[in-house]
Amino acid sequence: MISKSNPLIETKDLVKKFGSFTALNGVSLKVYPGEVHALLGDNGAGKSTLIKALSGVHQPTSGKILVEGNETKFNSPRDASEVGIGTVYQDLALNSLTSVTRNFFLGRELKFGKGPFGILKMQKMHNIAIEEMAKIGIKIEDPEQPVGTMSGGQRQTLAIARAIYFGAKVLILDEPTSALGQKQQMEVLKTIKKVQQLGNIAIILITHNEIHARLIADRYTFISLGEVIGSGTSKDLEGDDIRRLMAGGAEVGDLAKELA
Amino acid sequence: MSSSKTSRKESDRHNPKNSLISMISRPEIGPIGVMILLFGMLGYFSIPASETTWNPFAGEGFNALGIRNNLRVISQLGIIALGAGLLIIAGEFDLSIGSMIGFAGACMAMTLRWGFSIVLPYISFDGGAHLEFYTLLHIPDVSPILAIFITLCFTITFGWIQGFIIVRSGLPSFIVTLGGLFFLRGLTEVSLRSFNHRPDQAKGATTVTEIPDIKNIINLPGYGEMEREAAKYLPETDLISILKNLPSDVITKITERLEYTSQRVAEAKTDLLIAKGVKPLEKALENAIASDNEFMIKTIQDKIENFKIDPVTPKTVTDVDIARAYIDTIGSARPVADFFGGNILEPIFDWLYFPVDWNVNNFGNQFAPGLYSCVMIWVILSLVCYIVLSKTQVGNWIYSTGGNLSAAQANGVPTNKVKISLFMFSAFCATLFATCQVFEVNTSDAAKGNLKELEAIAAAVIGGIVMTGGFGTILGIIVGAFIFGLAKEAFFYIPGIDGSFYRVFLGFVIIASALLNENIRKRIMGNI
Ligand SMILES: Nc1ncnc2c1ncn2[C@@H]1O[C@H](COP(=O)(O)OP(=O)(O)OP(=O)(O)O)[C@@H](O)[C@H]1O
Ligand SMILES: [Mg+2]
Repeated sequence: MISKSNPLIETKDLVKKFGSFTALNGVSLKVYPGEVHALLGDNGAGKSTLIKALSGVHQPTSGKILVEGNETKFNSPRDASEVGIGTVYQDLALNSLTSVTRNFFLGRELKFGKGPFGILKMQKMHNIAIEEMAKIGIKIEDPEQPVGTMSGGQRQTLAIARAIYFGAKVLILDEPTSALGQKQQMEVLKTIKKVQQLGNIAIILITHNEIHARLIADRYTFISLGEVIGSGTSKDLEGDDIRRLMAGGAEVGDLAKELA
Repeated sequence: MSSSKTSRKESDRHNPKNSLISMISRPEIGPIGVMILLFGMLGYFSIPASETTWNPFAGEGFNALGIRNNLRVISQLGIIALGAGLLIIAGEFDLSIGSMIGFAGACMAMTLRWGFSIVLPYISFDGGAHLEFYTLLHIPDVSPILAIFITLCFTITFGWIQGFIIVRSGLPSFIVTLGGLFFLRGLTEVSLRSFNHRPDQAKGATTVTEIPDIKNIINLPGYGEMEREAAKYLPETDLISILKNLPSDVITKITERLEYTSQRVAEAKTDLLIAKGVKPLEKALENAIASDNEFMIKTIQDKIENFKIDPVTPKTVTDVDIARAYIDTIGSARPVADFFGGNILEPIFDWLYFPVDWNVNNFGNQFAPGLYSCVMIWVILSLVCYIVLSKTQVGNWIYSTGGNLSAAQANGVPTNKVKISLFMFSAFCATLFATCQVFEVNTSDAAKGNLKELEAIAAAVIGGIVMTGGFGTILGIIVGAFIFGLAKEAFFYIPGIDGSFYRVFLGFVIIASALLNENIRKRIMGNI
């Protein structure tokens, strides 16, 4: 599964300081197309800060971000999404009160004529929304269904399908399974797997769930206190390594003793 | 545990649409029910006691004049409810609508009456320091369209300012527009008083009167522009000379109509006379029956049977009558004023009188000349709003701005622009309301539009708009305006109760609607 191609997105010695507090202290990582790259680490390790830098929410204090080998600077989330970085935030940026289609195309509606008063191409948008969601494994019966009535997993899929349809080459998922029940977690993992199989999209996945990571991740980066403390492919790492590194390097065995 | 359930798929849980069920689960269905109920009530209770029947359309609420007046109330409210409703869908409020109506009306009336100038104040030291004004621009005669334009410049700018303050400061729109409510009302009163101020008065009135009836200015061939009423009371010789230049078919048509009218008036008079003569006899008959006086009963019955009255002879149609009727048919020379303040559907209401014999009052004359123009304005505005809200990109932006602001922003929706534009639109609607009013009645009063902002919000809520934003339809807002307007009228006709009970009723309806709306919203949000 590991692609030999060049990384789609890469960071070099990324540093982010919030005043005197160093949230990221020189993080380097490479994400390849067709790969799920799991970003693991304890609470407050700096995972969200890292992806916010990648998606243009934060500007790094120093260090470089390279997209397809070219150094890039993002001044806003818009800049990032223009070069193909699609972020699915924890709140998914969906409007529960309107339909699947209206959410799918929110802010980028297809319309007849120019300008904001252009008439929506509703039927075409319905078709695309259904088709795109079907591509990553969710069949929607009624594109007019309000998003609020969909399950959490379906909503995740909608947000992911939307990001991909609008040209995301790098898909960033911040804890996509955290608020879901067992069955829906599996649904989302299947969706991610489908996206991975598309082959041309690099996925950055933040999760606290070791099992999920092991199920779909191709490569791991462990972060602790703003620094990378380990990385590798799924073949390189044993289950114990993962557990140990996820907890910030502390031995789980030690913890078990402490708790006892 | 049986494992046969595993064949069930997620899609099995979705009920395919049943057209009947999806129709009755539309959020507007409740309000539409209330509207129909009120329609019935209005019709039924407006039937005069002597003519009881179960057909609600026999009632005064639905005679030609009733329709004209009811639709006026409804459409005026409907116009501002559209502005208020769209704003609520986008998650904001406008409490300044009512004051904006007063302000816009005063601004328009003042420019129509006194003209428009732009002045530069400066301090002059000639004979003690005092303020003087340098006139940059003065337009003494402001046309209707210019008056509307000038007013819109003020009101839309004010709407923009309110919106700008709200999106920039993050203050609740309640507070900012509450400020707007007081500010505009005060400004209106102050400026009306100072413009109306005369040296012999302590302070001026807060009304503008003596504006000519602009929509009824006509271009009378050979006489130039004048008010219709003035034209009708020209010397009779002049009137007759006007007729000379008219094609004969026009004269025939007008004559035919006038003869029909005088015939109809004569019939109505005869009926009235008969009724007047027979009524006391019937009363006497009742008394006679009550006292069991056989002889009296018989004589009175005879009298009623043989009651005769010579039919009133129809008034003959003179040339002067024809000339006056012709003047009535001349179109307005001020189409803009007529567009906002005149009547619409006049040919239909004419037809309903002339051949159909329905649009007739008790005296045999035509009852209603047409509908008020504001009905048309409301219809046009509703159509535009409907298309914008449900068919265009902006519509989706409005819904998402109110539904989930941060989601809308994350997807690149210019939410601030959406909100500011809607504050401007709400000011625009208030100005439309005022424009119709000013050109209808040719006066303006600083108190105009009082409490209208709350009525507009109430109509929107009744129509299914959720106060927290993101949910509602234009059809709902229309129904809400109907309910509000109909309730006002229907309760007025209920015999033996205070007309103000309509407020009690609306209070219930508002709370019930809000509860219903919240329930629907929660169901959609997946919380039920
Ligand atoms: N805007 C900010 N200003 C100041 N400090 C911040 C800011 N954002 C994050 N931090 C700090 O940076 C550190 C890393 O936060 P971050 O959100 O990246 O953690 P995380 O790895 O995503 O944790 P979690 O697993 O709990 O989501 C935390 O200590 C946090 O308090
Ligand atoms: Mg985080």
